[in-house]
Amino acid sequence: MFLTLKNISKKYAGKTVLQQIDCSVPPHITMSILGKSGCGKSTLLKIIAGLEQQDGGQVLLEQKDISHTKPNGRNIVYLFQEPLLFPHLDVFENIAFGLRVRDWAAAEIKVKVETMLQSLDLESHRSKMPHQLSGGQKQRVAFGRAIIINPPLILLDEPFSSLDVEIRASMQQLYKKLAQQFNITALFVTHDLKEALLMGDQVAYMEDGLLQVFDKKQDFINDSRTGVQNEIEFWNTL
Amino acid sequence: MTFKPAHISRMAIALGCILPVVLLFGISLSQNWAFPKLLPQQFTAANWSALFTKGNSITTGLFTSLIIALLVASLATASGFFTSQVIAYHRFRRQLIVLAYLPFVISPVIFAVCLKFYFIRMNLVGNIMGIVLAQLIIAFPYSIIFFVGFWNQRIKQYQMAVNTLGGSNGYAFSKVIVPLSRPMLLVCFFQCFLISWFEYGLTSIIGYGKVQTLTIKVFDFLTEANLYYAALSCCLLIIPPVILLWLNKRIIFRRIE
Repeated sequence: MFLTLKNISKKYAGKTVLQQIDCSVPPHITMSILGKSGCGKSTLLKIIAGLEQQDGGQVLLEQKDISHTKPNGRNIVYLFQEPLLFPHLDVFENIAFGLRVRDWAAAEIKVKVETMLQSLDLESHRSKMPHQLSGGQKQRVAFGRAIIINPPLILLDEPFSSLDVEIRASMQQLYKKLAQQFNITALFVTHDLKEALLMGDQVAYMEDGLLQVFDKKQDFINDSRTGVQNEIEFWNTL
Repeated sequence: MTFKPAHISRMAIALGCILPVVLLFGISLSQNWAFPKLLPQQFTAANWSALFTKGNSITTGLFTSLIIALLVASLATASGFFTSQVIAYHRFRRQLIVLAYLPFVISPVIFAVCLKFYFIRMNLVGNIMGIVLAQLIIAFPYSIIFFVGFWNQRIKQYQMAVNTLGGSNGYAFSKVIVPLSRPMLLVCFFQCFLISWFEYGLTSIIGYGKVQTLTIKVFDFLTEANLYYAALSCCLLIIPPVILLWLNKRIIFRRIE
């Protein structure tokens, strides 16, 4: 397995947020995790990224224990709900940021960023500052900034939650395209049922700090807790 | 050409600001202005040229003030920036911010009298280091209060974003946090410089008459009824803040545009 979580647990001020999470993610797939707000989804992603420390358990990436590795040593990119573009850098420099951290040569950075701008359909916006971009464009730049360093794992924490319906749909399509193009392995957290089914090659459900991974999407659909049956019933009775 | 009330009030405000400065420069360039004469009897650059003579007390005061103000502004801005980060994310944030307000609760003169005993014990009375330390007791908490709002959740998230992109905390600090905070750092430096530059109460008590800053000199000349040197010192007192204001406008406002 590519990513393995063993007995991950976490408490905040005595309240259990994650209970003995066990999970494995194969390479080059996107696993979507559905759950209500406050169920522990973001905490789980932050523990995998190293931004939070678990109380117990292990995080293994390609069989290597990274439980106590600093976030900048894990090579795992975390995409927040907001794009969090650096406001003092233009689009080109935002996308190039991770390459500059890795001390790439200027010529190589130029070629790689230009290619990424093309993939994201952002060539005409390369010199714009973040405040000059729309919400969808900002999120595309954030994707580019994450993907360009070719991380083994990307963690997406409800990245489309602040976008309106149309842009959200186009961003979902763009993500699917990029995931295929760059062989991305990702965990995609959402509280949107449709988005979880659309984005995930594999789907998991989280409730009260417990995670259940479904082998098949049909099992997820049949499970009464996930809300899919209620949704189908709603549309049938309309 | 028609004058609207708004124009007239703007001109009145501008004149109100400029006229006292013009008057000060006029007095600094004059001699022999005795009652009941309407204007000075003599206009001369002698007061100004005296500044370039060796050992002139006003020139010494100017440089003493500059050294103290630059030291206080640099130390208060840098230490306040880092300390405010610790306070902003501390679990006792509110209590620590209340502590930062304490030096402003009482008047600086009373505060200086309270501190004087400890300054004498530490041999810090009557020297520049003592004055720098005394002024930092005001400027440092001011800087903390100034910066504490900067360290919000968003800044923390920027740092996390840099970390997950492979950058260390130091890299995040130099490449993201400092560039984002640069306008605030400049404004804080400017404000702390002004706090120190015009400070009188603490400086006169801790300086014990041995450290003659320009502000102290102005008061000395006024008590001596030396109108011409008092005006000259006031003119010099105005110049550095005006230069800083100009720089502030050029650097910060151009950046915002």
